[in-house]
Amino acid sequence: MNTQDCIDAAFSGESQANRKYKSYSEAAADEGYDHVAKLFRATSAAEEIHARRLLRVGGYIGSTVANLEAGRIGELHETNEMYPEFVAIAEKEDRQDAFITFTHAMKAEAVHADLYQKALDAVKAGKDFDVKTIYLCPVCGNIEINKTSERCPICGIPGESFKVVE
Amino acid sequence: MNTDDCILSAFSAEARVNRKYHSFAKIAAGEGYDHVAKLFRATSAAEEIHSHHLLSIGGYLGTTAENIETGIIAELRASNESYPKFITIAENEDRSEAVVTFTHAMKAEAAHAVLYREAADAVKAGKDFDAEIIYLCPVCGNIEIDRTPERCPICGIPGSSFKAVE
Repeated sequence: MNTQDCIDAAFSGESQANRKYKSYSEAAADEGYDHVAKLFRATSAAEEIHARRLLRVGGYIGSTVANLEAGRIGELHETNEMYPEFVAIAEKEDRQDAFITFTHAMKAEAVHADLYQKALDAVKAGKDFDVKTIYLCPVCGNIEINKTSERCPICGIPGESFKVVE
Repeated sequence: MNTDDCILSAFSAEARVNRKYHSFAKIAAGEGYDHVAKLFRATSAAEEIHSHHLLSIGGYLGTTAENIETGIIAELRASNESYPKFITIAENEDRSEAVVTFTHAMKAEAAHAVLYREAADAVKAGKDFDAEIIYLCPVCGNIEIDRTPERCPICGIPGSSFKAVE
């Protein structure tokens, strides 16, 4: 294990803790522990700081062109390789909840890859990505540009449930 | 590989890209690509939705008392095992920036574990965590309760730079 492996392992650990503590803070707030919820928000934000520093120290943050390219490759890997394998395994084990979560994520990542490609084309032409409003499906993570569908094509919730990204 | 392994692997991947896209958004904004920045914020939020679902279906979200215990174990492992090992490796390779990042994170995780222990004791006694204001060090992720020190004991920045967590 060399330093770069350590950076990768630490980044993975910090990212996971950042997400876990964020979810824990919501559970604590629901249970009426407002100050525990705030502590979890604080630790989540702390792990965010660590994760960002590790990305930088590891050389994983490049120019926007490089970042879009890295993002596109990652999304394509997930949608074409990782999630299809996971979907098949969950299907075989009859794990319905996992099957649905994996399928939704797989389809959303394909949309993300496509949007990254469009943004990449714009930035390479010296322009910004051409969008007015970006909508996010709060159920499956699908993203729609400028207008929402009547129903989310991935998970089926009504388009009016989509959130505008600030 | 079974479905539970897939859930864990997918959670790790989603958590990592959630953090990456969050950082990529800041770079894009810095380069003047406001709409690309917004796209990265949207994809980051989408991966947050995925990682939250995966935690939920994987059974990783418990009661607050359980979540705090999970947090203590993770923070102690990071501060007593992972980071000390990573620091030694980075020192041997003379990667001073990595040594500093690992060292700050190691010390911050130890501080988090202490606070989680206090919160666990409070929750076990049927009370909320006793803290009015929670301050976060924006450099190293250290957390201080109710008041800030003159300088951060981990990274040394002035206490006036700490941010109150909402």
